[in-house]
Parts: sequence; C-alpha cells; structure tokens
Amino acid sequence: MNFEKATFGFLAIAALALNAGFVAGDPADPARHSLLVFFLMGVVNLVATGIKLGDRSHFGAMLLAGELVADLLLLIAAVIWTWAVHVGEAGLTPETMMTIVDLALGALVANAVVVGMVVGETLMLRR
Amino acid sequence: MKQSDRSGRTVFLVLRAMRRPIIVLMVVYAASMLGWSLIPGPAEHGGEPLSLFHAFYFLTYTATTTGFGEIPYSFTDAQRVWSIISLYAGVLAWIYAAGTIIALINNPHFRAVAESRRFAKRVSRLNEPFVLLCGFGNTGSLLTRGLSNAGIPVAIIDTDPDRTQAVTLRDYRVAVHVLCADASLPDHLIEAGVESPLCQAVVALTGDEEINLKVAISARLLNPKASVIVRSTSDSYEEVLATLGGNTRIVDPFQTFARYLVGTIHTPKVYTLYNWLLGVPGSRLGAFPQLPQRHWILCGHGRMGRRLQERFAHFNVPTVFIDPSPWREAEVTDDTIAGPANQDILRQAKIEEAVGIVSATNNDSVNLSLLLNAKALNPNVFSVVRQNSFNNAVLFDAADADLVMQPSLVAARRITYLVTAPLLRNFFAHARQEQSEGSDFLDETIARLERTVGGERRPGLLSLHVSREATPALLAACAEGYDVTLHDILRDPRNRLTTLPCVPLVKRSEDRITVMPSTSDSLHADDEVLLCGTRQGLSLLSANLQNPYTLQYLISGRHPPQGHVFRWLSRRWLRAPAPVPPGQAG
Repeated sequence: MNFEKATFGFLAIAALALNAGFVAGDPADPARHSLLVFFLMGVVNLVATGIKLGDRSHFGAMLLAGELVADLLLLIAAVIWTWAVHVGEAGLTPETMMTIVDLALGALVANAVVVGMVVGETLMLRR
Repeated sequence: MKQSDRSGRTVFLVLRAMRRPIIVLMVVYAASMLGWSLIPGPAEHGGEPLSLFHAFYFLTYTATTTGFGEIPYSFTDAQRVWSIISLYAGVLAWIYAAGTIIALINNPHFRAVAESRRFAKRVSRLNEPFVLLCGFGNTGSLLTRGLSNAGIPVAIIDTDPDRTQAVTLRDYRVAVHVLCADASLPDHLIEAGVESPLCQAVVALTGDEEINLKVAISARLLNPKASVIVRSTSDSYEEVLATLGGNTRIVDPFQTFARYLVGTIHTPKVYTLYNWLLGVPGSRLGAFPQLPQRHWILCGHGRMGRRLQERFAHFNVPTVFIDPSPWREAEVTDDTIAGPANQDILRQAKIEEAVGIVSATNNDSVNLSLLLNAKALNPNVFSVVRQNSFNNAVLFDAADADLVMQPSLVAARRITYLVTAPLLRNFFAHARQEQSEGSDFLDETIARLERTVGGERRPGLLSLHVSREATPALLAACAEGYDVTLHDILRDPRNRLTTLPCVPLVKRSEDRITVMPSTSDSLHADDEVLLCGTRQGLSLLSANLQNPYTLQYLISGRHPPQGHVFRWLSRRWLRAPAPVPPGQAG
C-alpha cells in the first residue's frame, strides 16, 4: 500500500463529499448553505493541493492542476462571501449566495474529476 | 546563405515592385492636399480652407472608391473642381498600386520564393526527429504513410507539381511538409532541413538514379550524422554509393524480394519470423511453409529476373527460364525458353512437375496471363507474381497468387524499418548466420516469442534509446548509480513480481551489439534496445520509463515519496533515509 496515495485519495474524496454537501439545497437561500461546511471544504482542498506539490510525474501534475482549479474557485467564492458580509451594505443577499453556490458547484466538478482520476489509477494498477 | 537573407528576400521583392506605385500615390496625395489647403471653404462656415487632415481623410475614402460624402461641410464649387481633378488622379493611382500587387502575387518566380520560404520555416519549427524524402512516387507515398503511422514527420521534395498537390490532399497523422523543387540542388535540401540535428534520415527515391546519387552525396557532406537511404537497382550506382561510407544504405527492392522469396524455400523459419515481426497481414508464428525441392520456373529477364537468378543459383535451386516475347517463334537455347507466354511454353518448361513459378516481367498483363495459364495446367503450383501498377491491385487479388510482389511496397516497407527499428537488420543477420550454422537459435527464439507475446496476433516493435528526450526517468536512474537491468524495466507496474509480455531482441551498448540479450544485462546511457511485445505491454513499458516514481518502484520495490510534504515527512517522522543507490551506501 502506498501511504501517500491513500492519504491523497482520502483527502480528495473528503473534499468531494463536503463540496456536495455544501452545494445541495436551494442556491438562493443563505440558510441552506453552512459557513462551517464551506470552511471545512476549503481547508481540505488546500491540504490536498499541498500534498500534490512537487510531484514530478505527469499524472501527479494533472491531479495538482485539478486541485488548483477547485482552490481557485473556492477562493473567489470566499472573497465574495467575505466582501458581502463585512464590507458591503446589503449583506448576504440571495443573488450573492447564488454566485457563491455556482462557484462551489464548479469546484465540485473539479473535485469530481480529480477523484475520477484517482479511481482510474487505482483500478488500473490493481495492487 | 543564411536564413535571414532568405526571409528578407520576399519582403525585399515586394518593396522593390511597389516602389513606383508608392511614389505615384505619394505625389498625388501631396498635390491634392496642397490644393485643398489653398482653396477657401464655404462662406457661411467661415471660409476656412479644408485642413490637411480633412483633405487626407476625404481623399482616402473617395479615391479608394468607398465614398462617404463631403466633410466637414458641403463644398463650394471651387472645391468641387479641385475634387474632380484630384479624384481622377487618386483613383488611377490606387488602381495602379493594386494592379502591381496582384501582378506580383501572380508572378511564378515570386510564388516559388514565397513557397520555399514558407516550407523552410515550417520545417525549422519541427521539434522532433524527422525524415527528409526526395521523390513522392509510388514508393515515396507508401513510405510516407508508413512513417506517418509510426509517428515520424516527413519533409518532402518533388519536382512534379501534381504529386506535390497530392501530398497536401492526403490525411496524415503527423506533420508532412512538401516543396515543389529540384532535389539535386543543395539549396533546396538545406531549406528542407538537411543540416538540422533533428534530421534522422535522408531518403532518395526519385525516378532518376543520377539525382538519387547527387542527393546522397549532398546529404552525406552536409549532415554526416544522418543516415542516407537510396533506392537503387543498378550495380554501377550501388558501387559508388557503397563508397560513401558512414550510415549509407542501399535498398534494392528486387534483391530484397529475391532474398525473401528464396527464404520461403530454404529458410522457412526466418521467413515466417520476418513476416510476423514486420506485421505482414495474415502471418502467424508456428506455421512453416514446407516447399518440396523440385524445380522452379522463372519468367522474365529484367532486373528482378536477374536477381532471382543469382539467388536461386546461390542456393542451387534448379530453375528453368522463360523469356516471354510475343513476337518471336518459340525456341529453346541452353536452359532458356523464349516465346509467347502461352500453355505450350509452360508445358515445355515442365510446369506439371514444377514446384513454383515466378512471373517477374514488367508487364502486368503478361504476368497475369502466365499465372492463369500456369494454374490451369498445375493448380497446386506455388505462384509468385510481380505487380507493377498500383491500379491493378483488384486483378491481382482476384487472381489469387500465393505471393504478390510490388516493388514499391517492398522498398517502402524495408525503408520504414530501416528508419524506425534499425537494429532489426542486426537481428536478422544474426538469425540467418545461426540458421546456416545449424544451431537451435531460431527454434528457441520462436518458442520464446510464442510463449511471451503470442504467435497469433500482430506484435508491436519498440526501439528504445536511453536518452534525455526519450526516457528521462531511466537516464536519471542510471546517472544516480542504480543498476537498472532489462528485467527491471520489463516488470509489470501492476505487480512487480511478474513481467510484461515483451521480449528484448537486440541490445546495442556503445558499439557492442547483442542479439537476444539476457535479461540480467544492465542498461547504461545511450544504449539502444529493440523490443518485441504486445501493443499493450509496450505502451505500459514506455509509460514506466517516463515516470520516475514507477521506475523506482520497479527497481527497488519501495514507493518513494512523491510530493514535497511527504518527502519532508519521511525525513522527519519516519527517520528513514532517502533511498540510497547501492554504490553510495555507507
């Protein structure tokens, strides 16, 4: 068993799971999307990205690319959320929530692709 | 001549041709603008003459026949008079300029220069090893197809504009660039990239043997490291080419086929192995044709006929010659029978007892009629027939001969293998030598290939070169001091205790060539290995050699840490030292 691959697999699946949990529900209703879940999802994604830094193989680089896409989208969503709550006058409106959920949905797709690649590699190598 | 001179040439030609029109335009514009700035404008808007900028703008859009209107205000009649004069002059000046550009573009000399400039630029942008081909006839197009399937780009030079057009209409898997020029001029060879270090081979396949010779000599002088391959069927040129030295190969399709044909009689195992390795459709390991050793009938006294005669004589195969000439009465001289190709002639040559008949004339109708007559008299005779024109393929398929020889196909196939798997020659030379010495080499090799790769399906061939471009991970492992053996790279990444279905056929290490090397041989930088295996196995193998972590796993059985985080962790927490190559421990 390759400990590093197992760890990354765990983190990728956890990121996907949390992401799916966050995105579920009415996109416009701020009450249906928990900030705690968003925060956990961001942390897990960043840790997963960190694990893949420095991998010189092509497959590792592709996983890193997928993780970076998810990170980027979540970062933009986080900035929008922070701005809406702390800086803007209107607060967390349904339109803002919809934008955040859309970005999180994009990150979900990136996470799904990464998990797909991990599953593919596991099935192909069959160790 | 440097490349920058050439790029300047097209631009320079354009500028020089446009000199006079540009001067005329400038004069017309200047005179008009001067006139505008002197004629006063309409009184109700201040009587100011048109500004220079407005004059320029008005003249541009009106003299180029776009025509918006009078700006900024409607003109006075005096201004309109000046408009008439300057517009006639302006429109004529623009038509003159446009006409000159069009004439220049249609000028065939200019087009040739622009084409060759574009071709040279495209070839210089290729960033993988390519082949330079002179001559896009039948053999050339078959060769391009073979090289394209193997993933090697080709730069082609041909004198015939129709053939050049044909290249652009074909669909290839790799970049194929073509130039319509005379290949015997060294300038065109240089444009096609002969001096580039990426030029792997120069192939001369034009119909003229003099030009082929010139191309070979130019290539040898301009790029000593590239291999030169020439198709030549006449002895005099072959002797001259053989003295060029270096990596020069002569491909004579008739000699190749003659050896191949005699192989079916005398060395059926080599023949079967050859067919199977080269992927001839329908070939299988394990089925050896057994031809009885009676006499053969050989028709045709051209180049192919003579080569076959030599080979048959070398192996003491009894032969009867037929010289098919429809205009003579049948006559027998020595062992040659001359006359029209009909059943009487065949009976005189004792077709009923012959084991095989070869129709090697350069006329397809004669070959086909001989074949039909022969089959009518002796249905079991082994028939070999020469197909000259590609268009008659349907007829030859229907005639159901045992072997159809197409000189272009034979040459193209041989050249493709000379370029993609050069070590194959060494393998077969060794095999033939072992066969003539009567050893078990062939039986063992065939048994091993059948066991590992499977004799039914077409195998793949992989030419491995341990270098930075092809196998960076393997080179790095060798450089770090690991002892990487052939057995290591053949391990299956899914389970390192089993091996992939691949067999190393030839290994070249510096100048030593080993056929069927032992798998405990280690690999060093700049070695070449020729492997035969299933397609899947070979693709897994080449993937292994690109991935440094998989390679480490295959060599040592341990998984090295891949990311920075785990590398740091493995040093701090697990207190395990980084994997140390055996030569440096302690």
